[in-house]
Order: sequence, then C-alpha cells, then structure tokens
Amino acid sequence: MAEQNLSLPEPAFDYQRCLLACAAGDRRALRELYQQESARLLGVALRIAREPAVAEDIVHDAFVRIWTHAASFDPDRGSARGWIYSVTRHLALNFVRDGARQVPLDEQHDEALQASAQWQPVDFTAQAHSARIYHCLEQLEPARRDCILHAYVDGCTHAEIAQRMSTPLGTVKAWIKRSLAALRECMG
Amino acid sequence: MNNDQSNADELEQLAGEYVLGTLDAEQRDAVQQRLAYDGALRAAIDAWEQRLLELTALAPAQQPSRQLWQRIGRSLDNLAPRQAAPERSVNTSWWNLLPLWRGLAGAGLAASLVMAVALSSQTVTPPQTSYLVVLVAPQDRAPGWVIQASSPREVELIPLGQVTVPADKTLQFWTKGDDWQGPVSLGLVQPGEKISVPLDKLPPLEANQLFELTLENAGGSKTGKPTGPIQFIGRAVKVI
Repeated sequence: MAEQNLSLPEPAFDYQRCLLACAAGDRRALRELYQQESARLLGVALRIAREPAVAEDIVHDAFVRIWTHAASFDPDRGSARGWIYSVTRHLALNFVRDGARQVPLDEQHDEALQASAQWQPVDFTAQAHSARIYHCLEQLEPARRDCILHAYVDGCTHAEIAQRMSTPLGTVKAWIKRSLAALRECMG
Repeated sequence: MNNDQSNADELEQLAGEYVLGTLDAEQRDAVQQRLAYDGALRAAIDAWEQRLLELTALAPAQQPSRQLWQRIGRSLDNLAPRQAAPERSVNTSWWNLLPLWRGLAGAGLAASLVMAVALSSQTVTPPQTSYLVVLVAPQDRAPGWVIQASSPREVELIPLGQVTVPADKTLQFWTKGDDWQGPVSLGLVQPGEKISVPLDKLPPLEANQLFELTLENAGGSKTGKPTGPIQFIGRAVKVI
C-alpha cells in the first residue's frame, strides 16, 4: 500500500505530447496515457465514487472525454497531467453530486455508517510528499486540514464532512472557507 | 475598492470550492456554465486545480479490470464515425453509446431545470407523478427542448429556442425504455414547433426513459431506427 501511495509519475512521461497525438487521432497515445495513469485515476475516482464499478465507469468516461476533448487542452492554462486529473475528478464529482448518492435517508445513514467503518481516512502524515500543497496543509490546524482532505480526496459534501467529524455544519463551512484562503496565501 | 476586493474574494472562494468539490449539483452546474464565458473564473479555477493537484496522490492506486481498456476502445469505435462525418452509418447504434448516456446523466443543468419546472408546476397543479425530460445537445449540453408528461400516455415536446435544419433534412423524435430492444420513432418534428405525442401504442412512460431528436433525411429514417446524428438527447426524470 505504502509503495502505491508514494508512487509518483515518472517525470520523463510526456503528457502533453500524448494529448496532442490524441487530438490528431492517434489511439496509441491514449493507450500510453492509459497505461501511465489509469490505476491512479481509478484510485482517485474510487475514493470519490466509493463503488468500484462506478469508479471504472468514471475512468471509462474520462478516457473517452480525454480522447474527444484533447484538442481543447490549452497548455497555457495548466499541465497536461493536471488536465486529465481534472477531467476525471469533475466527472466523478458531477456523478456523486447529481444524485447518484441521493438514496433514502435511512439507507444513507446505514451507508454512511458502513463507509465510515470500511473507509480509512487518507494517511496524511505518512505521505512524504514534497509538493508545496503538503507543506501548506501542514500549517493548518489538523481538523481544518482534514476538512480539505475529506472534500478533495473523498469527495465529501459539507454535510458529510460535518457528520464524519461530528462538527456543526456551519463550523465546517467556515473552516473550509478560511482554509482555502490560507492555502491560497501560502501557495501564491 | 472594497467592493472589487470582496468580488475577487468571492470568485476565489467559488473557484476553490468548485475544485475542492464541496459545491452542490446546482452550484457546480452554474460554475460549469459560467466557465464558457467568464475568463476570470476560469483562471481562478485553473489556479486551484494546479494548487490542489498533488493531493490526488493521496488516493491509493487501483488496478483497473482487464475489460476497462477494451470498453474504452469500443466506445471510441462508436464515436469515430460521428467525428469523421456528420452522416452516421446505419449500423452505428447510438443507443449503445455508453459515454453519451453517462455524460448526460451528469448534466446538472437538466437537474436544475427539472427543479425549476417542478417548483413552478407544484403551485398550479395538485401533486401527481409526472415526468420531465430536458433534451440537450450532446456536444455542449446546451438545452434545446423540454418534454413534459403530465400523463404517462402522452408527452409534450416544447422547444426552448430556434434550431435550424438543412432543407433536405428533418428532425425525428425517438424514445427508448431501459429494457427495450431499440428506439421507437415518435414522428417527425418541425424546428421550433411544440407538439403533443400520444404514447398509447407504447409501454407507459418510465423514469430514465430515453428521448432524443436525430437529424434524418427528409421524410424520416427509412429503416425505422435512427440513422442520423443526435441533435438533442435526455432521460426522463420523475417529478413529484
């Protein structure tokens, strides 16, 4: 597990070249991207969607979208690797926000209980990440940092975070608001 | 200016929460629509995407099943003729275009329109089960038509704007239930015209039932199945 968590993309992989080739209709380039990133993207989608089959659907849709929208990638707006992660995360977030998780309240409650039993929180301290965001997150109080991680990594709503952390909803919203401002200041 | 500063803070906040994922469906949809024309919001979101990107490394990688790549390949095969030419080959079955349905299921806009209509209709009619479909363009998800069904036996197709169709083409209206073999024609449609279609020869309308308008040669599809490109598409949502 730890090795998986720590695996970082090989810097030699040229994401931008792959996207350009996808835009030109070269399916081998999509295959390269798939080999390079599908396991990590599936991991990202699974944390948010929480069901393996749904997570695979999301990664499926993400690769179709990467293929059909590769031409719209604009390197001035961010990295090619970031773009494919954003495509995947937002598909996953759209999916869970658009009612996929909106099941009756008692089921939701059971599900939440089950989920809290099965789903381990991400192990922040064990991550030896050098990225600046980790440094900035460390500056936050642990509870506020957890809010950010529950939201970004697990796709939790404000209400789900409040439930997970047994903290009033208003407090969670205020923490997130202030944490975002602090992160922006820290990261520039 | 204080006002400018608070507007800028608000924009940053919205962009941050969008990327973080804490906005609800309606708010996400509003942001996604604004992205098309709001450069400042786009720039703020791009910056947040970059700031938070490395947190994706916290999600443990998962090996996809062997079938996943094959599934993607099949979907691309189905997409390819659409991209190459506006005329689709007859044997391309659009109703098997998984990404299209999945993508549309994610169209939050539809949800917010449904909400708006549901709220307004509640004030005039007693509560009863009815269905609503927002038909959107597959490329940009722009809504083009609404289908309202206050009875499961009849639907009303209402244009939201003007669409143009080449002189030698026509719009054909189709529907398909989840477990039907294929789509069934509901007839030809004039652009911009509101029509009522009885469903008396079909099973009662059900949630998730698919509707769309395809572009066919004048007179409609000769095969009884859609052969032209999809112009608008959506699924039925139950409105209580």
